Amino acid sequence: MSLLLMTRLLAAAVAVALLVVHRVTAFDTTLIVAVSVFTAASLAAFSWIPRLQSAPLAWLVDGLAVLALVAASEDWRSPFYVLMLTALILPSTGLAFRRALAWGVMFMLAYLGVALYTELDANTLRSTIRLETIATHVMVPFVVVLALAYAAEVLERLRDERLRSERLAIESERQRIAWELHDSAKQRVHAAHLVLSALHGQVAGAQAGLVDHALAELRAAGADMDTSVAELREPLEGRSVGRLLEERAGQLASVSDAEIVVRDAIGELPTSIAAHAYRIGAEALTNAVRHSEAKHIDVVLERNGTTASIKVRDDGCGLPAIRRPGSNGLRSMRARAETIGATLSISSGDGGRGTLVHLTLPTEAGNA
Amino acid sequence: MIRILIVDDHPAMRAGLTAVLRAEPGLVPLAAATSLDDTPAALNRTKPDVVVVDYHLPVGDGLVVCRMVKRHVPAPAVLLYSAYADASLTIPAILAGVDGIVNKAAPASELYDAIRRVARGERLLPPINRELLDGAAAELDPEDLPILGMSLDDTSLGDMATALGLEPAEVSRRLDRMIVRLKVEVAGPREG
Repeated sequence: MSLLLMTRLLAAAVAVALLVVHRVTAFDTTLIVAVSVFTAASLAAFSWIPRLQSAPLAWLVDGLAVLALVAASEDWRSPFYVLMLTALILPSTGLAFRRALAWGVMFMLAYLGVALYTELDANTLRSTIRLETIATHVMVPFVVVLALAYAAEVLERLRDERLRSERLAIESERQRIAWELHDSAKQRVHAAHLVLSALHGQVAGAQAGLVDHALAELRAAGADMDTSVAELREPLEGRSVGRLLEERAGQLASVSDAEIVVRDAIGELPTSIAAHAYRIGAEALTNAVRHSEAKHIDVVLERNGTTASIKVRDDGCGLPAIRRPGSNGLRSMRARAETIGATLSISSGDGGRGTLVHLTLPTEAGNA
Repeated sequence: MIRILIVDDHPAMRAGLTAVLRAEPGLVPLAAATSLDDTPAALNRTKPDVVVVDYHLPVGDGLVVCRMVKRHVPAPAVLLYSAYADASLTIPAILAGVDGIVNKAAPASELYDAIRRVARGERLLPPINRELLDGAAAELDPEDLPILGMSLDDTSLGDMATALGLEPAEVSRRLDRMIVRLKVEVAGPREG
């Protein structure tokens, strides 16, 4: 687009300068006005409505307009010739290589038509110099398209290649972190748990509670690492948040007495948002099952225009007054919500009973 | 006094196990090996009663080490120490000659108890249900099924060879093959 902006402004300026310096037709003033209006209008339209930049109809209108200007100047060696070439920028960079070439050929023929209409006659065809000039004029649009389309194609390939290598790098980094967590950090946690557990039953009184506390922390750390490793190795795999939360509810239902109901009407979410939304929802659900002693847990996934929400509501004992040992679940839920630009509120349920975890999500990934 | 050899690739785990076992009266950790490569030397040097083997070893997984330990004469009892005490691990473990399985997340008291029991010649393995057995049978060649049955029944290699009219080496080769077939892909990142 910036290429179009620069070249078209330049070409329009050249055209106006030529019209001012050289008398071309009997109605040069009208042409100057026309070319100024066309340049301003076309650039404004393409800038304000970016959709037009990739609309073949807009290219066609643009192309016909410049050809009309050339025809109006009554000569195929028109002051608008360079301006005309600028109409080829968008199609040749926006279309696939072969289609761009086809567009170039069509444009070339259209220009030949204009040339025939304006001046080309038996005289021209007999003069070698003029024949050469017309041949050059007719060929240039095609060459411009060829060069631009080729450049666009190469850029596209480079971009794909970079994306692919970035993805590979991310993937191998994930594997490395998972490996380290799993094969190193987790082994140390196991070892610490084992060593500490040897004290169990040998320490009396208040100290025994401390040992148990530390053991619980170590087990929680091990579980956290398992979750992180699982997440690093299998990010969602294309399943929807609702499906995953239902699966999680199914797993939890088999180890608890609570009745869990999942209602899913959230639809599609961008992958990055979905991954975090699922982990937040799963953590809220797990907390409700493990700590709230609830009888019923409702998980509601909704969509309302451009926002979506996940609510996990239970009828259990509510939020604890002090933080449970070994729980950084809430902190990680908040951190995740922040990452995806979601808001997380955790409050008492209706009438002060139970807990309500309410996550409000954007439905479009940010342009970060 | 029960003499113990530890096989674990992670230094923290080897140190932790050694410290914990040394703290318990009657248990003597003699040495710690790290992989399939240095286990034979450690076995010959220490002549342990019980070998505690980590399932998840980077070089030659734990079951290969168990097979090798069990071929040693006299064969010590083998305790498989695994972070993945999954039921599907049980059958391959039995084929490898494992006498007991203990979860790495279990407290030390459970480990002490397990070591004492396998040292007395007991087997400490989770029960095998129908589903697990059918699953394993479906993976194996029909000609290997008698070996599976006899292994589950704690039949010695020599008796199996006699019963099947095969060389003991052939039975041993088939056991290796069966373990590879039933190998449990642990839920952890692998090298490479």
